Amino acid sequence: MRTERLLIGAGKAVAVLAILFWSLFPILFIAMSSLKPGQDIFAVPPKWLFTPTFKHYAELWRSWGVFFEGLLNSLLITVGATLLAIVASACAGYVYSRNSGRWLGASLLGLIIVRLIPPIVVTLPLFPIVNWLGLSDTHLVLILLYATFFVSLGTVLMRTFMDQIPRELDEAASMDGASRMTILRKVIAPLAMPGVLAVAVFVIVFSWNEFLFAFIFTATRAKTAPLVISEMIGSIDGVDWGILFAAATVQLVPVLIFVVFMNRYLVAGLTAGSTKG
Amino acid sequence: MLLQRTARILPLLAPVHLLILSVIVLPSLYVVWLSLNTSSFGQAPNFVGLRNYWRVLSDPAFHSALWNTVVLVVVAVHLELAVGLGMALLFASGLPFRRFLLVAVLAPYAVSEVTAVVMWRFLFDPDAGPITLALHALGLPSLDWSFEPSHAMILIGLLTIWLHLPFTFVIVYAARLAIPAELYEASRIDGATRWQAFRRVTLPLLGPAMLIALLFRYIFAFRLFSEAWLLTKGGPARSTEVVAIYLYQEAFSFNAFGPAAATAWIMVLASLLLAGAYVLLLRRGGVAHAH
Repeated sequence: MRTERLLIGAGKAVAVLAILFWSLFPILFIAMSSLKPGQDIFAVPPKWLFTPTFKHYAELWRSWGVFFEGLLNSLLITVGATLLAIVASACAGYVYSRNSGRWLGASLLGLIIVRLIPPIVVTLPLFPIVNWLGLSDTHLVLILLYATFFVSLGTVLMRTFMDQIPRELDEAASMDGASRMTILRKVIAPLAMPGVLAVAVFVIVFSWNEFLFAFIFTATRAKTAPLVISEMIGSIDGVDWGILFAAATVQLVPVLIFVVFMNRYLVAGLTAGSTKG
Repeated sequence: MLLQRTARILPLLAPVHLLILSVIVLPSLYVVWLSLNTSSFGQAPNFVGLRNYWRVLSDPAFHSALWNTVVLVVVAVHLELAVGLGMALLFASGLPFRRFLLVAVLAPYAVSEVTAVVMWRFLFDPDAGPITLALHALGLPSLDWSFEPSHAMILIGLLTIWLHLPFTFVIVYAARLAIPAELYEASRIDGATRWQAFRRVTLPLLGPAMLIALLFRYIFAFRLFSEAWLLTKGGPARSTEVVAIYLYQEAFSFNAFGPAAATAWIMVLASLLLAGAYVLLLRRGGVAHAH
């Protein structure tokens, strides 16, 4: 009995170590390698002890100014898409939470289905239209695209979270003479904060990291950080891995810290977003 | 009364529905029209019926892309589910530092496809990649992903599992936590072994959540683009193309919008078929206990 328990304990420990290795090793290894002096990156066997240097970061700053412009573009687009998606989803989610009816039910189902259409499909017709509207290579086009691909999930999530807020609160506020908008802003929104944060995690992570739309719809002015990194990969002969690792680390660290702090909302959003309709 | 209510809620519904109509629904329908015509930039469209579909469906490059995609979806997604299930059961069996471990498992969710490609390319670098070196040291074969198409597909599969395992794990783990402990107590009192409890209690109750995770992952793996594009660009010689890359190449490299649109609708139909199964599952309330 005791040996059995010991064996199970050992098995679990091995499994946990394997999980940690799988999840964290790729991240830690490039973050570590970004601090290695040039020749140590390619050392065989890999060097685990070395004098850390910020040389690659300095070089990134000097020779890849476009990467930092990309970070700024990513930031602007992420903020814009997040605000748009949250406001739009909160409004619609409120309606779906407080009302019911055949048309509403059908349109909510429509939202769920639309979310499952592959994004690359809409690039075909949108590419000429965006060009024609003069929106190509602007922040606005990515903000609209990113927000749109998350408002359906956002609406479903907001509805789920708002369903937990008692309707009596709406009624009390409305008897005090508050308008719909005021109720939503002053009563519902503060209580629906977990839902807002869950939606925010999704949109922020997606907008910060997205590649396909940025690749197709931006060229220079609105180029995002992932796109710049992809160009660095493309010119691997000209660029050394150290700079690439530095860029990847700079792109990753903020969103990683964000996800670590928001892990509760991410888990709540993932489960509510896929198991409730 | 009805009119009044409609007037009240429409402004609140408008932003979401306008965005979705103008960015997703109308463009998708326009793709249908595009798929029935030959056209490229600056040319007048020419109605050709289903000829674009015929051309795509008889194109060997499409067959190869479809085959790659299907193999990737079937192998990677099921492997991912099996690992996710194992991890969920491990977590539920009681672990120290559970919150920390949970956060560690979630970490890849924050990583962009681009950064993940940088990581995995280097881990499997033929000369200096730590995984390659470790495999060699153990006397195992490594991945020649830059020459050998099947090895490249394995790397794409690993990459996509790494990026999406957090999702699958969370869905299954949440469902596992929702199973009341009394059920296990009752089965123990009835003399059930661990294996029997797993077969008779855990699996049936996790079924709906696992099905949801599978459907979502089928849909999302079927549209896979960035990982494959950034790793191989579909090469060498179009051998590692997936359907989304085939579509991109037709549209943006060969300027063949008709066939690209036909490919797009084939993708939409496949996704909608899976979506239909998903909605049916939601409607049946099969996942009511999954949270």
